[in-house]
Amino acid sequence: MSISYLWDITIPMLQGAKTTILLFVLVILLSIPLGFLVTLMVNSRIKPLSWLANGYVYVMRGTPLLLQLLFFCFGLPMLPFIGEYLVLDRFAAASLAFILNYAAYFAEIFRGGLLAVDKGQYEAAKVLGLSRWQTLTRIIMPQMFRVALPAVSNESITLVKDTALLYAVSVPELLHFAYTAVNRDFTIVPFVVAGVVYLLMILGLTLLFKTLERKFKFE
Amino acid sequence: MAIIEVNDLKKVFGQLEVLKNISFSVNPSEVVAVIGPSGSGKSTMLRSLVHLEEANGGSIRIGDEYLVRDGAYSNAQQIKAITSRMGMVFQHFNLFPHLTVKGNLELSPKLVKGLSAAEVSRMSLELLDKVGLADKADVYPSSLSGGQKQRVAIARALMMNPEILLFDEPTSALDPELTGEVLQVMKRLAGERITMIVVTHEMGFAREVADRVLFMADGEIIESGTPDQIFGNPRHERTRSFLTRVLA
Repeated sequence: MSISYLWDITIPMLQGAKTTILLFVLVILLSIPLGFLVTLMVNSRIKPLSWLANGYVYVMRGTPLLLQLLFFCFGLPMLPFIGEYLVLDRFAAASLAFILNYAAYFAEIFRGGLLAVDKGQYEAAKVLGLSRWQTLTRIIMPQMFRVALPAVSNESITLVKDTALLYAVSVPELLHFAYTAVNRDFTIVPFVVAGVVYLLMILGLTLLFKTLERKFKFE
Repeated sequence: MAIIEVNDLKKVFGQLEVLKNISFSVNPSEVVAVIGPSGSGKSTMLRSLVHLEEANGGSIRIGDEYLVRDGAYSNAQQIKAITSRMGMVFQHFNLFPHLTVKGNLELSPKLVKGLSAAEVSRMSLELLDKVGLADKADVYPSSLSGGQKQRVAIARALMMNPEILLFDEPTSALDPELTGEVLQVMKRLAGERITMIVVTHEMGFAREVADRVLFMADGEIIESGTPDQIFGNPRHERTRSFLTRVLA
């Protein structure tokens, strides 16, 4: 096995990793705010809103992500009447499934974070004259995010690995190129290289979250 | 005219009558200590004044406006205006852990009153100096002792220039050796003729600093009078037995 062979198989994998990373960034950026919105809906005093949000979380957490991916990529276009308008780009459809799925998990994480904020914080804010919106954005959310950070970190790491599910809907990414090389060259080396690339991405992510946790220690 | 007037205030939690027809008034610049056994409704009464509890009946007048009149509350905007005349210091401080000491003091004047950063900064340093914590402006609350936290909380309440300061057992969560520094600050404020209502277990403070003492038990004001009357010559049997127990 030569260095040039390693190089030759790694390049397409890194190309594939771009898709992995793009999906990761898209999902993090969109599912976190969406998840927080769902948390607010779950906690809403308007009951139907709360039921809707709880139902959403139940469905998204209660069915396999793989099923959701297949549903969005292949199932939606089969729907009668509206199906023909739902033929999305494969990557877009997959991203949508990921975002909606992860939003449900983030919603639960943030709900836990909200529970950890002492009710005295709301009372102090109220007595100081802060509006509900100011209390939420200036007092509650920063503390909630601090509490939620380790769980968000954990969920993000899971997401990096879940991107490999794109393989099942034929969107070429890191694992796809590794498997292609394995089949073509009949060697397990590409699997090992793929593993190393995943580990490097996770390492970067872990360091990033450690930095964030230090930064938001409030000491 | 009294700055606070409470009439027939009622509050129930489920089946439990926590406040039964509470009536009292407080004059401007007066320092009123509220004492009594736990569960007597002292804190609930205090919290009702700033609308942290919603009363089930009766009236609360602050200045010339009614927060609640015969059980009917004013609208949200009026409530906000009325309660903004009062500051509150909590038993558990309730400082914002994600903000520095200075940040704790400055958040509300900036957001609510729209004061400039320079103005607010000048005020916060002045007040921190007043409570003896000028050197702690840039630290987070987690690095402070309980007594220091409570002094920061007092300074934070003062930032809004309240006419009335309410203290809900301000030293109950503190180690005994730390209560002195907080009481000292409160004593100084009393000297500045700010109107204060202090729910407290510190009989020494009530006796020394208060102009008037209210004794509460079972959701009622059993007895009220000057510290000399209450501590020296309590008329009511329940006041006597309470004082014997706490002063023993």
